[in-house]
Amino acid sequence: MSTEPPAGGAPAPAVQLSAITKRFPGVVANSDVNITVRAGTVHAIVGENGAGKSTLMKILYGMQQPDEGTIAVNGAPVSFSSPADAIRAGIGMVHQHFMLADNLTVLENVVLGSEPRKGVALDFGTARARIAEISAAYGLGVDPDRLVDDLGVGERQRVEILKVLYRGARTLILDEPTAVLVPQEVDELFGNLRDLKAEGLTILFISHKLDEVLSVADDITVIRRGTTVASVSPEGVTARKLAELMVGSALPVPELRESTVTDDAVLTVSGLTVVGADGRTVLDNVSFTIHAGEVLGIAGVEGNGQAELVEALMGIRSCNTGRIVLSGRDITRATTRHRREAGIGYIPEDRHRQGLLLEAPLWENRILGHQTSAPNVRGPLLDRKGAKRDTERIVDEYDVRTPGIDVNASALSGGNQQKLIVGREMSGSPVLLIASHPTRGVDVGAQAAIWEHIRRARAEQLAVLLISADLDELIGMSDTLSVILRGRFVADHDPATVTPEQLGSAMTGAGRED
Amino acid sequence: MTVGGLSVGLETTPTRRGKRLSPMVYLLVAVGALLVLSAVRALSGATDLTSSGTVQAALTAAVPLAMAALAGLWAERAGVVNIGLEGMMVLGTFGAGYAGYQWGPWAGVVFGLFLGIVGGLLHAVATVTFGVDHIISGVAINLLAPGAALFLSKLYFADAPGGGQKQSPRIEDAAKVTLPGFSDLMGTIEGKRWFFVSDLAGVLRGLTTEISLLTLLAVVLIVATGWVLWRTPFGLRLRSCGESPSAAESLGVNVYKYKYLAVTASGAFAGLGGAFLAVSSGQFRDGQTGGRGFIGLAAMIFGNWRPGGLATGAGLFGYTDAMALRGSNAVHALLLLLGIALVVVAVLQYRSGHNVLSGVAAVIGVLFGWWYFTSDQVPPELIGAAPYVVTLLVLGLASQRLRPPKFVGEPYRKGHAV
Repeated sequence: MSTEPPAGGAPAPAVQLSAITKRFPGVVANSDVNITVRAGTVHAIVGENGAGKSTLMKILYGMQQPDEGTIAVNGAPVSFSSPADAIRAGIGMVHQHFMLADNLTVLENVVLGSEPRKGVALDFGTARARIAEISAAYGLGVDPDRLVDDLGVGERQRVEILKVLYRGARTLILDEPTAVLVPQEVDELFGNLRDLKAEGLTILFISHKLDEVLSVADDITVIRRGTTVASVSPEGVTARKLAELMVGSALPVPELRESTVTDDAVLTVSGLTVVGADGRTVLDNVSFTIHAGEVLGIAGVEGNGQAELVEALMGIRSCNTGRIVLSGRDITRATTRHRREAGIGYIPEDRHRQGLLLEAPLWENRILGHQTSAPNVRGPLLDRKGAKRDTERIVDEYDVRTPGIDVNASALSGGNQQKLIVGREMSGSPVLLIASHPTRGVDVGAQAAIWEHIRRARAEQLAVLLISADLDELIGMSDTLSVILRGRFVADHDPATVTPEQLGSAMTGAGRED
Repeated sequence: MTVGGLSVGLETTPTRRGKRLSPMVYLLVAVGALLVLSAVRALSGATDLTSSGTVQAALTAAVPLAMAALAGLWAERAGVVNIGLEGMMVLGTFGAGYAGYQWGPWAGVVFGLFLGIVGGLLHAVATVTFGVDHIISGVAINLLAPGAALFLSKLYFADAPGGGQKQSPRIEDAAKVTLPGFSDLMGTIEGKRWFFVSDLAGVLRGLTTEISLLTLLAVVLIVATGWVLWRTPFGLRLRSCGESPSAAESLGVNVYKYKYLAVTASGAFAGLGGAFLAVSSGQFRDGQTGGRGFIGLAAMIFGNWRPGGLATGAGLFGYTDAMALRGSNAVHALLLLLGIALVVVAVLQYRSGHNVLSGVAAVIGVLFGWWYFTSDQVPPELIGAAPYVVTLLVLGLASQRLRPPKFVGEPYRKGHAV
């Protein structure tokens, strides 16, 4: 309400997007998007990864031009051909990936492109004063003379906000601002946002973290598959309801149907002990068996030996004592490649570091880990045609949303990257699937899809080792649950009866039962 | 660009970036370095270590290197690797030879600068407009330029009076200035052979006697570069193109334009360096640059992509160059100096926790000391190699905490920057 009201009546909306449509070759990124942002509010735009939120914001910021539709700022129609136009209209954007030069000072980063001048020289005095003034006015607490390199993530984000404010923005677009922050920093950011709102600024907040959205937003617009599906206010909606609006159907619940467990042992591990490089025992006499059609869930606070267990099973790390038997064959000394060829599929915990080559096309990523078997090879050579054909199959079957199989893996959203990995690991008919945090950092839609694939794998008599930090996922998806603590299996639970609280206390070693 | 350069450079580089040393500390370091020099001079009897003649020769040798380093600085700060400096210097030497013998040294300087700009533009077109790999473009220029210079030299100099197939007729040297009175006074004190005082006088005399106007111009250009790049909006934008072109682009900076300007300026400085070289040595000769473009790059890296640092680096290399010219006795004393410098490096590296590096430096330092004390002279074959050996050791052992521009050498396409 504190922006200048137009002649008579209620203030015009700070931003109004009407019937925006944007097409890319092969994809409609946005179709018929309508959003009205009241001045002086925090307006959240939520949607799954790949729903078209970012494209929409790029259109509003002038980085891309809409094919159809109009944009109005403070009631006046505008058309932006570059970010410079948007900045002139008072719109600023804080990118998800910071646009900062590390080796320049905060001051230099802020004034770059619109420097105050004294003759031909940069007027450092004026710049410093203005930055201090803005920083104080909105409680940003930024020191203009520090090197950006020395700043933490939260501070860098405040520098980005300062940059936008310095250019006189009255409307701020924040693209997934909390993705990189730890909880305390998120609280600070929200404090800053409330200060900005109190000063009459308008904030467009893009996110898919629903509890955050509910705590900070005044209005919420939900986007699904490129179009606006609902506008709600946070008072009248729950996180669950929002999620359902985002996904377009009832929210998936991690649960298994009837038991498919057989007596047929696929993986038998006995007495597995691994000593780390520093001489510490990271896995201590671990024994377990996974049967065909069984999901064994492993619960534990991170760093209690889960990663080492997976690496030992994959042959990435050698074990000191113990035996690993896969389908009756001793693979304790086998190499990673032989283990994979023997039928182990592996969804690694960090898809960027271990799962994919980000700068390689999807079909090359399809070959990874299967570089010795059909359809990827023919004789000693790679079979590019076969690999591409099979990648098409994975893209279809696993609903990987991508413009094509020749784009780099980095072009896909996290959920789609993960679906590609799941598809790859499920091909070549494995007998054992090791899934390490399979749904970490993916949106709800992809999460549901991945759960469904694990269920299907189980129904097809795969043995699954599931490691996760999401206790609901573990309880819902496992046939058997073990708790790992300091490298030992300390407790077994029946997923049908255990509660997350019981599991949590077992994981910390606090309330060890019987 | 002082004689103290040797130790100054070695000691300032390992300090933490972001924490700049105060001028007082620099002064103390310089005095300390001079004390060491005096001690070595007194011990070895090699008066050339601090004589005014050496300082003059060092300055003359350092100026082309400093210009090459400055050229590298301009390009790399905008994110373009310019390994073609050597070739652009060659063009500069030819330009100076061509215009210099006909219309005087300053015409030579201007024409050398102009040809350098041509080389720079070539590099800019290749790397910025067409996205050619910077190294490939630079190497191409390095191959192209000497060939072109030799061809043109045969064309224009073979029949000129005093010229030849591979060299130009003589160029007049640029005017030289001396600080009247002060220089003579220093000369008197230098002759007394007092410990430290005479050495200081020698250095000061070298800095104030028969200084070429070209040298003064070089000093002005170094200072001006520092001011332009770090104190003006133009410089900030230029540097932002090397640090984060995507950030620059998102704030409306025309990255292509600044890269073009920077690489062109880089060519101009390299051409100037070549011209200085030709004018100060009296003529253009084929192969005259002798790798100075590369040493200039090394000086720039040693100087952590800063004007003051690269001047120190150029001074250091100029000094060793001058020592090599002074002959076997001086180079022999240089062994001891190098040994001491390496031990200093070892101590500094040890204090900042680089134990292995410190050990290597200490061992090499001690070896140099041992070599000095067990021999009377350096084999003449090695004298000419002294500057290169020093380059190698200094770069390898001192330059550990450097901060190159983040996006140097990275291809940039508008709208596609990450």
